[in-house]
Amino acid sequence: MPNFPVPQSAYLHIPFCRRRCYYCDFPIAVVGDRSLLAPGQPLQGNNSGTIAQYVEMLCREIQLAPVSGQPLETVFLGGGTPSLLSVSQLSHILDRLHERLGIAATAEISMEMDPGTFDLAQLQGYRAAGVNRVSLGIQAFQPELLQVCGRSHTVEDIQIALELIHQVEVPSFGLDLISGLPHQTLQQWQDSLEQAIVLNPHHLSCYDLTIESMTPFGRQYKPGQHPLPSDETAAQMYRLAQQSLTTAGYEHYEISNYAQPGYQCRHNRVYWENRPFYGFGMGATSYLQEERFARPRKTREYYTWVEAIYRRESDAEGREKGEAFSLDSDAATLHSASTSDALLDTLMLGLRLAEGLSRRDLAENFGTAIVEKICRCLAPYEPKGWLEIGSDRIRLIDPEGFLFSNVILIDLFEEFGEG
Amino acid sequence: MTDVPVSRIRNFSIIAHIDHGKSTLADRLLQVTGAVTDREMKEQFLDNMDLERERGITIKLQAARMNYTAKDGQPYVLNLIDTPGHVDFSYEVSRSLAACEGALLVVDASQGVEAQTLANVYLALEHNLEIIPVLNKIDLPGAEPERVKQEIEEIIGLDCSQAILASAKEGIGVPEILEAIVHLVPAPQDTVNDPLRALIFDSYYDSYRGVIVYFRVMDGTVKKGDRVRLMASGKEFDIDELGVLSPNQVQVNELHAGEVGYLAAAIKAVTDARVGDTITLANARATTPLPGYVEAKPMVFCGMFPTDADQYEDLREALEKLKLNDAALNYEPETSSAMGFGFRCGFLGLLHMEIVQERLEREYNLDLIITAPSVIYRVTTLKGEVLYIDNPSKLPDPQHREQIEEPYVQVDMITPQEYVGTLMELSQNRRGVFKDMKYLTPGRTTLTYELPLAEVVTDFFDQMKSRSRGYASMEYQLIGYRENPLVKLDILINGDPVDPLAAIVHRDKAYGVGRALTEKLKELIPRHQFKIPIQATIGSKVIASEHIPALRKDVLAKCYGGDISRKKKLLQKQAKGKKRMKSVGTVDVPQEAFMAVLRLDQ
Repeated sequence: MPNFPVPQSAYLHIPFCRRRCYYCDFPIAVVGDRSLLAPGQPLQGNNSGTIAQYVEMLCREIQLAPVSGQPLETVFLGGGTPSLLSVSQLSHILDRLHERLGIAATAEISMEMDPGTFDLAQLQGYRAAGVNRVSLGIQAFQPELLQVCGRSHTVEDIQIALELIHQVEVPSFGLDLISGLPHQTLQQWQDSLEQAIVLNPHHLSCYDLTIESMTPFGRQYKPGQHPLPSDETAAQMYRLAQQSLTTAGYEHYEISNYAQPGYQCRHNRVYWENRPFYGFGMGATSYLQEERFARPRKTREYYTWVEAIYRRESDAEGREKGEAFSLDSDAATLHSASTSDALLDTLMLGLRLAEGLSRRDLAENFGTAIVEKICRCLAPYEPKGWLEIGSDRIRLIDPEGFLFSNVILIDLFEEFGEG
Repeated sequence: MTDVPVSRIRNFSIIAHIDHGKSTLADRLLQVTGAVTDREMKEQFLDNMDLERERGITIKLQAARMNYTAKDGQPYVLNLIDTPGHVDFSYEVSRSLAACEGALLVVDASQGVEAQTLANVYLALEHNLEIIPVLNKIDLPGAEPERVKQEIEEIIGLDCSQAILASAKEGIGVPEILEAIVHLVPAPQDTVNDPLRALIFDSYYDSYRGVIVYFRVMDGTVKKGDRVRLMASGKEFDIDELGVLSPNQVQVNELHAGEVGYLAAAIKAVTDARVGDTITLANARATTPLPGYVEAKPMVFCGMFPTDADQYEDLREALEKLKLNDAALNYEPETSSAMGFGFRCGFLGLLHMEIVQERLEREYNLDLIITAPSVIYRVTTLKGEVLYIDNPSKLPDPQHREQIEEPYVQVDMITPQEYVGTLMELSQNRRGVFKDMKYLTPGRTTLTYELPLAEVVTDFFDQMKSRSRGYASMEYQLIGYRENPLVKLDILINGDPVDPLAAIVHRDKAYGVGRALTEKLKELIPRHQFKIPIQATIGSKVIASEHIPALRKDVLAKCYGGDISRKKKLLQKQAKGKKRMKSVGTVDVPQEAFMAVLRLDQ
């Protein structure tokens, strides 16, 4: 058995949303606005499962997780809308996680929250349960753009949410914004950036809208065509964010992420540094022992899957606890990593970071010949100002290198991909 | 193998439209007569190539000998000579029909007569074959044997009162068919004592024994060890191996008039023993060959270029190997500034082209760029020379040309009446000249047009099928060359002419084609880091132009834990696509672009 690095991060997927945003193709379950009436109470209606039931399944999955021996350094509750959880549900989940895997005292515990889904007591409760980083999905500051996206909150909800966050003194909070939305103008984007800077979040994610085919946006719009901004305008929006935010003191540390010094998201860095992580919940991916495993994306199928591994664990008498690593025969999607795969992962993820790739690490893991090959392959892009091949590191140059990162990656994939 | 008198031999073939059940019936006959045991039975025994089995069509014909004791108590030998079921191979069909005295006409009782069937029935009638109508698939709920009988009687003029109702799948009617073959198909003429004449109706290359020739002995006797002469090619060979197809090859010492068999004689390529050639004895030659020999000539041409220049030699070897087995395939080296080294290949028709392409990619693992098919033009220069041009880029300049003629075909379509309008429109758009229209039976009409072959080899067949919701069928035959005001349309990408995209088109259509082609290319060629103009020109005159805007961004905004596998697949797919593109100057052009002319919405 090769020596794999020990996972010290966990992603937990909370799939519930009041409604589905028009750009979203995530594995979610829509529960409507009723979820707000009585937080934490089982929902009535046509949903395939209640939040309470899901929480139980999620905890059961956590209790079956393979134990690594090292406590978690980062925990990320993503969604969906994790802020649809009641305080007790959240505490319950974190308690199980702590029991099973351990959560370090210094761990970063992030939670995605949507404006309009939580009140003061709830936020205080989350804090008390251990959440120390909040990522608020606001997406835009213009009512008409929120409507275009099918967001379930208003501009007022954003203001209220921000006041609550300040009131509770969340140690680290970030905002999400989307550029390149239908009908969005460069001016609107600039306004949004300025408003965001005034709010002084520790962290900002700015996503250039991706049109996914199986979404209302995918059916309605064609990339680069009206009412979507042209590619040129979308590229301008990207450059504008880079300029305004770095001027305001933010580090542009990843293609779509900005942070004040010391406030980078530790959990997300695990992905880009290609380190292992647990994944729990419907549709969540784990990356353990160099294998990526994606859980079923539908509630029922996820439940069936959890039941199946639960039964198998209980049946396996005398078997060493924590052997869930070998559950892979159930895998819906499973990628057994080859060296080529590992290299492509490292390149694709590492080049997303401002600091890029360490030549020494590459040489250690893949050999010096590969590093030479990478440099040869990338050399044509250096004179264009897209990247820098330094003596220590290979990195894309902000913003042009980031903007064309796929062009560069496709060249690398052509060089190192199989077949 | 028992020796059998000529009077108890029956040679027959099966005429049927694709899907009407020919192969199933052949399988059933083999099973019932015990030629193939149930254990040996693979579905569709006669279709040997994977490709054939996959598509359910016969490309290379085969033969099978069956021993059958009829109800009169006599043992008979029945030779089934299979025919390919596609218009591209009508010459092969005519040769195998010439080797028979009778034919089963198999028609799907729920469908009716199709154009291809009709064409082959006429071929069979020309060869004086006894035709036995069989209505197949009568077990299907939609079967209408009475309507289809009436249709056969009205369209072909065959008496259907004795037509056999069958279901090859269920084995219904199979004994009746065997009896009908014995009693209705005439025995071959007894010319055992004449000088040897045997008709080649198929041949294929075997890497151990050389070419295996399938033939029907028309006159005389042939023995193992005989020195034979092929009357058209003039080559002589010693027979190493002689046998019958039962349907597996079984060696015999002698075959006489009326019998069907195979021989091996260290023949190096099928071109030395072409279909239609006559085999005679070297030292006792027949005075005249059997009638009807024609060297199959390619009618459709395209360029084939390896995506990866390193595969040029592999492509040459693969073509050489295919050629050993395919006398109708022609190729010669072609060099193009845009595409590098490749071959100009000639085919009997579109299906033939597709089959060769597919075999090259599948069996020889080659990545190919294939240019749009074109036909062979007859160009007369001002000096009075006559040139045959199979490649638009080789067309002499207008100032050196007297005239350009292009091949025409007569196209016969059979269609339900409601699609007549749209098929006429299609034919009209393709420069067709209306010749005839006949109402065959209520709901079925034949439509005859004369069309330039160039218009047929583009997507005419697909268009006909889609416009008629798959109901219409067609058949075409070459009728000669006609002069037309044709011009050469060039395509420039980023200022460079791309000769594989050049086309010879009618002057009146040049503008429309040019505009459609530039628009299509704009869609198919990905954005680059610079703006790419695409122009269509005639001589130095630009008749249409488009441009592909420069790439402004190409970035994955989100890449978190759950996104990694999917995004990686996306990049892998794009990298693979890029690998398969051809660099034309500094522009990467995908394979589909070279076939763009076939996909224009005109």
